[in-house]
Amino acid sequence: MNAPQRAASAPQRVVVTGIGVLSSIGNGVEEFTSALREGRCGAGPITSFDTTGFVHTSGHEVDGFVPERWIHRLPVEQLGRATQFTVAAARMAVQDAGLDEQRLAGLRAQVTVGTTDGEAGELDRMMAASVAQGPERPADQLLAGRLPAHQLALAVARELRLPRVVPTVLGTACAAGNYAIGDGFDAVRTGEADIALVGGADAICRRTFAGFSRLGLVSSDVCRPFDADREGLLTAEGAGVLVLETLESARTRGARIYAELLGYGLNCDAHHPTAPDQSSVARCMELALADAGVKADEVDLVSAHGTGTPTNDITETRAIREVFGDTPPRTVALKAMLGHSMGAASALGAAASALALAHGFVPPTVNHRTTDPQCQIDCVPNHSVPADLRVVVNNGLAFGGNNASVVLGRHEEEPSR
Amino acid sequence: MSERTIHRDRPLITAWSAVSPFGLGRDAFAAGVARGEPAHLVPDFDTRKVLGKAGTRTYDRATGLAVTAVRELLDEAAAARQPIATGGGTALVLGTTLGSAHSAAGFSRASFEGDKPYDVPAQLMPNVLMNGPAAATAIRFDLKGPNTTLAGGAAGGLLALGYARRLLAAGRAERALVGAVEEQTETRSWLAGEPDRPIGEGSAVLLVETARTLPPERRVLAELLSLDVRLAVDEDPQEALAATVRDALAQADATPDQVWAAAVTGQPAEEQLAALVGPEAVRRVRTAGLLGDTGSAGTVFSVTTVLALAEQDPAAAGRLAVIASLDHQGLAACAVLRLAGGDR
Repeated sequence: MNAPQRAASAPQRVVVTGIGVLSSIGNGVEEFTSALREGRCGAGPITSFDTTGFVHTSGHEVDGFVPERWIHRLPVEQLGRATQFTVAAARMAVQDAGLDEQRLAGLRAQVTVGTTDGEAGELDRMMAASVAQGPERPADQLLAGRLPAHQLALAVARELRLPRVVPTVLGTACAAGNYAIGDGFDAVRTGEADIALVGGADAICRRTFAGFSRLGLVSSDVCRPFDADREGLLTAEGAGVLVLETLESARTRGARIYAELLGYGLNCDAHHPTAPDQSSVARCMELALADAGVKADEVDLVSAHGTGTPTNDITETRAIREVFGDTPPRTVALKAMLGHSMGAASALGAAASALALAHGFVPPTVNHRTTDPQCQIDCVPNHSVPADLRVVVNNGLAFGGNNASVVLGRHEEEPSR
Repeated sequence: MSERTIHRDRPLITAWSAVSPFGLGRDAFAAGVARGEPAHLVPDFDTRKVLGKAGTRTYDRATGLAVTAVRELLDEAAAARQPIATGGGTALVLGTTLGSAHSAAGFSRASFEGDKPYDVPAQLMPNVLMNGPAAATAIRFDLKGPNTTLAGGAAGGLLALGYARRLLAAGRAERALVGAVEEQTETRSWLAGEPDRPIGEGSAVLLVETARTLPPERRVLAELLSLDVRLAVDEDPQEALAATVRDALAQADATPDQVWAAAVTGQPAEEQLAALVGPEAVRRVRTAGLLGDTGSAGTVFSVTTVLALAEQDPAAAGRLAVIASLDHQGLAACAVLRLAGGDR
């Protein structure tokens, strides 16, 4: 087998060749791309759980999801909703990449999935039953079997029948999608894996909605990042999975390349359980730019974490200005369209960044009225714009001070030498 | 300056500690391993008594165990005049299965039992997320490098080691604290239904460095030669275990006769492992028999058990340890370590 060589060596270039998405604005890469261009907002009344008694009851749910369309081998009833999302998005991404599943099974694969809540929605259902029936009632073992978060990656590997696989789930809360993409990037660029299926997934769940409601962070209507009248976030669900491989591998098999993954950075505030730390967030972006070998003035667009909460948007804007100076690149918050899909958020952000680079447009920050004077950035309000993008930075910030930024670049075919 | 080099030098384990059913710290763990009497619950573990009242009010048991394990590691290293640097160069990679299932269940229950569905203890919200223990540990010890919570079930500890190896290879950290935590609570027991063996708990943590960043005079305890992970796609978990052990040994350019100690956690598979590396090696390390099912911490406890035993036995020097896991869905993982001494 390929034992790693012990000398230092130059890394491989890594490209994105497949995208699978489930989101409140569309499922599948085509629908998702049009929705980003149109500036669609996926907010609506939550139907996944009973919202009686909550003050605000809107969220972003995935519509029209038929798990059996994507999951062919595993018994669907053994998988929680977040796991079903992950498997479906992974298969979409594989198909989008034009990969033959039999050939894929012969490769060394890294499957890294980020999630905030894992299958917490299933635990909510178990707790509802326990409250109704009494705590002495034994746990439903079918539901209990869905809970462990590593199912998200393991089910992908089992469904796609990947024998040489490293299935990893990263529970780094709302930055988890970027953590996962970074891990796949490292696995491919070092040659540890031939291919990586990476991203994030979460299903909307009552307990997290309850928590954000209690913290007063849920918006009464829609999410308005960087807006003077923003009230907060809307929780959401979704999944985003990217296929990563080396540039050489993509060229050899004639794959369509959406974008090049140039680098990433990750760090920890080590400061506060929930409040972001400006200098640490700035440091994270700087680490990512350094890893990518990109200067701050070469960045054309920032896909912000942009939750639409009062604190996040001010802190993040200041961190962006700390890194990029007084004329920062255009900075959009996709959560206005997508809601806050937790562990999926930065994965969907990376997918959108790759599509923006490939198709030459900037997706807008929708629901926008008046920019908060404390958020001094051009958030590309309400309407997408055509743009000649070369480099995009995609941010993910999380409770626990877990930050990760991913840098993507436009792929251009070089003339053969 | 961009980090455009991949570092291929092998990760080195240079220190370890644990909070375990044998008590707090490395010496207590080593003594428990030497005694060989099974234990499953960390004795008298009251987070606020162990860690003090400052900053610990919201800690749950998993957080308390993880923070304490890292404290023991840092304190023991400082006492041995081999301090471990914290700050931006130090990563924390922590394995888990569910985070604190007890915190998550309690938070969810509050939503159903309160007057209003949002009558949940918001100050405890970080605990319901899997990264609660790692985040609290970072805050307490100023660990500003990569901070990653990795859910992997039985393979969690080995997957964490593999993840840390990628971080170090890419130069994203100079050293990594790699471990796992599992708590024993009524919720975990309830979720487990009627398990085949007792549920165990604790947190074990390894200091992983590379030759590039090794401080002078730091003693190397073991070297990670190889790590292999694979899935039984043909519903034959025993074959997946055999394949991963064989491949991990091959990647290490090693043969079964060099193996001094071997352990498998997760599904019971000690006979199968003995058939691969010899019964003597497997007899030395009985992680699950001693500690019960410690979930993602099982493989890390296997490593600390081997290191504790090797310390007492000069015959271990230069020989190998095989640390394996097998979960009930057929995911098998195996690391091969070379124990310090001998020809290294």
